Amino acid sequence: MERKVKLQITGMEKKYKNGDGVENINIDVYEGEFVTMLGPSGCGKSTILRTLGGFLDIDKGDILIDGESVKDLPPEKRPTAMVFQSYNLWPHMTVYENLAFGLEIKKVPKNEIKSEVERGLKLVNMTGYEKKYPGQLSGGQQQRIAIARALLLKPSVLLLDEPFSALDAKIRAQMREELKRIQEELNITVVFVTHDQEEAMALSHRIVVMNKGFIEQIGTPTEIYDHPATRFVASFIGEMNFLTKQDGSSVAVRPEDVTITRGEVQGQLSGDVRTIMVLGHFVEVNVEVENRQVIKTYVARNVADQLHMKDRVSLSFAKTFQYCA
Amino acid sequence: MRQKTLGKLFPYLLILPSLIILAGVVFYPIAASLLRSFQLEEGGWGLDNYIYFFTDPIQRRNILYTLQIVIVTVVLAIGISYFLAIYLRFSNSWASRMIGRLYLLPRFIPGLVAVNGMITVIRDSGLINRISRLLGMNLQLGLMYNGKGIVLMNLWFNIPFATMLMAAALSKIPDSTIEAARDAGAERFRILRQMILPLTYRDLFVAATFVFMSNISSFTTPYLMDGNNPQMMGISLYTQFNNGHYEKAAALSVIMFLFSVLSAAVYVYTNMKENEWEKGNG
Repeated sequence: MERKVKLQITGMEKKYKNGDGVENINIDVYEGEFVTMLGPSGCGKSTILRTLGGFLDIDKGDILIDGESVKDLPPEKRPTAMVFQSYNLWPHMTVYENLAFGLEIKKVPKNEIKSEVERGLKLVNMTGYEKKYPGQLSGGQQQRIAIARALLLKPSVLLLDEPFSALDAKIRAQMREELKRIQEELNITVVFVTHDQEEAMALSHRIVVMNKGFIEQIGTPTEIYDHPATRFVASFIGEMNFLTKQDGSSVAVRPEDVTITRGEVQGQLSGDVRTIMVLGHFVEVNVEVENRQVIKTYVARNVADQLHMKDRVSLSFAKTFQYCA
Repeated sequence: MRQKTLGKLFPYLLILPSLIILAGVVFYPIAASLLRSFQLEEGGWGLDNYIYFFTDPIQRRNILYTLQIVIVTVVLAIGISYFLAIYLRFSNSWASRMIGRLYLLPRFIPGLVAVNGMITVIRDSGLINRISRLLGMNLQLGLMYNGKGIVLMNLWFNIPFATMLMAAALSKIPDSTIEAARDAGAERFRILRQMILPLTYRDLFVAATFVFMSNISSFTTPYLMDGNNPQMMGISLYTQFNNGHYEKAAALSVIMFLFSVLSAAVYVYTNMKENEWEKGNG
């Protein structure tokens, strides 16, 4: 089945006066797809999102939504809706007024607005909060309302700019799960920005890993985790050990791909156990090998029970990645 | 025991000197003026001094004239400042940054200097007139010796101040508030009406009361720029005083004070009143 491209970014460039910005951005987002822009702060992920929403003009390239160029449209004319990091809701309006605002602009009839708002509140499990003001809600509740408000605009593409980063960890996980459910329920196209790789892995169909204004890799969470295209992706996504060789190139291995054997084994890397930390159902064992390099490993509890500090051990790698200097 | 009493009294001892000075230069004159305003020139006590200012045609006209100038000043100064502050807040252009740096400059020029400077520019034989004559016209602005020039001068003094207050109020509105409104499809005018105004109307009132209070008793500007009749209340007070009508001068002072109290009441009311949405978690 041919999938429909909902959002297309081609050859896009946006530079700020200080030289920062993004360039050569090419991304296709399919209908009903959840795509996450992931990268450290300053990598350009928010810049891209803001150009999609119309809050930043682009210098080169084009942005197509449903096949139509939107690059010259102001935010109020674009078929996008954005959820911001914080201060999303209008503080002087009730929850109802916040949700109804965009519909009133669209001249939706009063009774229809009422049923739409009810539907929106139900979708984010906030029924009964119509008369509350944003200041009377918790941060998580405010973001739910913000998501409902964006959804009521029936956008072609929903944009979320680190919407959960101001929330505490427990609420964040809950909101993540809820967003995933809503996205699947409505089959809506989403572009999500985060610096939290766990959040990106959990939510996305595909992840765009960005660094310093460039796209490092685009792929599904498993592709990106199992086959990191560059050294940056390898270090940014999940835990990764890098062993630097004489020629400057490096071998990378994930902690869960390392097997520890007691004593020296012919042809294997050997080292001394430096720390043993129990992290629940598994144990993190750090082994110091040649040139004071430390390899982090995750081992099962029964294996770790055999190990002690300063034990001589050998390491074998189930899977490694090679990166040039 | 003695130690304890002294400890309790000590803070009051610290404020005693300033209290004595305040009593001497502020409280006593106010009380004395208030008392004096009820004294009649021909002896005895009564409200005649007050009645005079509200029944004598010239005096009544002075009061109305003053109010008229002050209200026009408030409306224009606040209106201009509000839009200037909005421009400074939301525009990132070269011009906006330039104005942002310069708009407070008039506050640093001494009032008397500014008024004289303005006179040399706007009077019928002033700079503007001379430039117009070079171009073959004879532009007579007619801004001197009437209320227009005073309003112009008041704007010079009050726009920077009011803009500063409004800019502070507008800076409290986060960008995402405006961006979310645009995202929902709101155009400029709707954003002004439904976002910016409701979030800053209280600061508008505060700025308006400040401008009102500082202009109701103005003296320097009307003294240098206004005609002989009608007079603003500050000049009228000066005339009464110079002519030895101390009781009438005292009554007029109290009247001016009451106008200020009225606007101060508006200030206190708008500040005390909490909107439903500002009450937060109960």
